[in-house]
Amino acid sequence: MIDFLSSFSQFTGIYVFMNSMWGWPIIESLHFVGLCLLLGTVGVFDLRMLGIATQIPYEDLHRLVLLGVAGYLINVVTGIMFLTTSPDQYGHNPAFQTKMLFMLLAGINLLVFYGFFNQHVSNAGIAPLPTRIKLVAGISLIA
Amino acid sequence: MALVVAINVAVSLRLLTTNSTATYTGLDKLYTLHWLGVGFIFLSGIALLLAYPAKALTNPVFYVKVAALVIGLIIAFKIQIRLQKTNSTINHSSTKSLAALALILWIVTIFKGRFLAYTNSVLLASRFY
Repeated sequence: MIDFLSSFSQFTGIYVFMNSMWGWPIIESLHFVGLCLLLGTVGVFDLRMLGIATQIPYEDLHRLVLLGVAGYLINVVTGIMFLTTSPDQYGHNPAFQTKMLFMLLAGINLLVFYGFFNQHVSNAGIAPLPTRIKLVAGISLIA
Repeated sequence: MALVVAINVAVSLRLLTTNSTATYTGLDKLYTLHWLGVGFIFLSGIALLLAYPAKALTNPVFYVKVAALVIGLIIAFKIQIRLQKTNSTINHSSTKSLAALALILWIVTIFKGRFLAYTNSVLLASRFY
């Protein structure tokens, strides 16, 4: 696996770029921008569902979630660049493995939200949400 | 930092993706979390500065980051004040301009913050003794 990731990095030119003078810090910065975009849209929407800033209609923040997907994609691309450039540094690292586990949890949680609760939240206006939806929002925020 | 930028991103995107008839009720309430995050930034920033003062103070990138951060916070405060007014009195075009400027400044702050770790030429002041 590590050999495959290294070969991918070499073949695509990612390795050369990441080992250039500013490659790593540029991609680190973009990774953080993606994270902030994700937190600023999905994270704030989760906080709203949990009961913060109760005057904001859910739908106003729900609209921004699509931009959060853009942030997520930035993180996936930049994350792959880190991983393939230094697979040894990440592959055996428990912190990285835990991070991947939480990303999987967030993905499943997202499917649960859009599968069962999206319509309820869209029609809720500013009314308080049931505990089961708050639980999904809480899991999303923690993950 | 992520908390502060996230709240600013949420408010700025909400302002930038709506037309002049939109209402922003309750959006100013998010700033409670924002200023809480600013408190953490201030405390952690002071701790980092005290730990390695020469590293930061001899690096021009540090001053650009602090300038972008301070201007970003001033703009955040201005937007918060505008959002606390009744919706009909909000000047939408100028508030949108402020929101766009705020986004740019937060991106500059993030980039400069990361580049700080890679651009220092001095680590400890003892090098000069």
